[in-house]
Amino acid sequence: MASTAAAVPFWRAAGMTYITYSNICASLVRGCLKEPYRSDAGAREKVHFAVSKWANGKPEKSSIRSDSHSE
Amino acid sequence: MAMAAFRREGRRLLLSPVSYNSSFAARSAILSYSELGPMGARSISTQAVRNRMKSVKNIQKITKAMKMVAASKLRSVQVRTENSRGFWQPFTALLGDNPSVDVKKNVIVTITSDKGLCGGINSTSVRVSKALYKLTSGPEKETKYVVLGEKGKVQLARDSKNSIEMNITELQKNPLNYTQVSVLADDILKNVEYDALRIIYNKYQSVVSFLPTVSTILSPETVEKESEAGGKLGILDSYEIEGGDTKAEVLQNLAEFQFSCVLFNASLENACSEMGARMSAMDSSSRNAGEMLDRLTLTYNRTRQASITTELIEIISGASALTGFSQSARATDNIQYRRYACMIKLQS
Repeated sequence: MASTAAAVPFWRAAGMTYITYSNICASLVRGCLKEPYRSDAGAREKVHFAVSKWANGKPEKSSIRSDSHSE
Repeated sequence: MAMAAFRREGRRLLLSPVSYNSSFAARSAILSYSELGPMGARSISTQAVRNRMKSVKNIQKITKAMKMVAASKLRSVQVRTENSRGFWQPFTALLGDNPSVDVKKNVIVTITSDKGLCGGINSTSVRVSKALYKLTSGPEKETKYVVLGEKGKVQLARDSKNSIEMNITELQKNPLNYTQVSVLADDILKNVEYDALRIIYNKYQSVVSFLPTVSTILSPETVEKESEAGGKLGILDSYEIEGGDTKAEVLQNLAEFQFSCVLFNASLENACSEMGARMSAMDSSSRNAGEMLDRLTLTYNRTRQASITTELIEIISGASALTGFSQSARATDNIQYRRYACMIKLQS
């Protein structure tokens, strides 16, 4: 996978997109904060939505992504 | 829907007392709530009008409260929206905006709200999406929808359900933040093949004006193709790239990040427009409820006075049957004349 002239960055080689990579870095930065700011920043990390794919004009069962994105 | 029905009912109540003397019997079919004897007898009931007035007043209170809630939510989202506009500006400065790009695979991301009672913004978004679908479809071309929000899903599923790829709801359960939208953007990017993404949302200009807007994001391959055509994209090669990435790498990262930023700004703008539209919708419905209440009050008073008049007439006619005839006739005529004159004055 990384055998082109320019090396693919490690996260791209691991299958992450740039968005996932930057989100992980952001949660790491948020984890470095001290207490009152830490809980404020925690509120900015909440994720909740329900996604459902459609096939042949019919929605399939929706799955809820409700993790707080803190990998 | 309920408000329109109430308006019709209110107008019907308005019509009936005007010609109540002669044609009450004819209208008795419509007025199902009052029991009528021959020629406008005493049993006209004011109870039904009073009930209607009470319910209209409650509706007015509720819509006023909803307007206040929307106004307070608007204030907080508006600040964040204006701050988030700085996210996509560098991208447009670098890559330009190419809404008229002609590609094979288009994905239309329509942003709508989950809740209703917000005026016409969802219908405008859906209409623009459908128009864009027609514009971008053709031989060998494929256009798909990704719908954010319950309202858009319902409207699009009516006639384009075979072109819907994904549907996302419950987005506004927590206040919108970048993490959430970027996870969503990631999901979309992983599940959908695209050459160009077109995001449709209502841009917030002011409390009363929302512009339906389309933002176009090109995939890295499309950027390569378009850069041969010159313009902003053509001079990308003159930039020096730091680090070990190639141009393709950088374009890939940029495309993903651009989508996430533009989606974030678009959902904030749409949320702002939703609050503003809800404010004006609730404001106009409180005003309509107030007008309806005025009309109902007039009807109520008129009905009340008419029933008092008929009672008086009956009493006096009864009394006249016992005493002389001419005295009571003059008294009855007098009262009748005065009451009807008042009613005519009220109606004009």
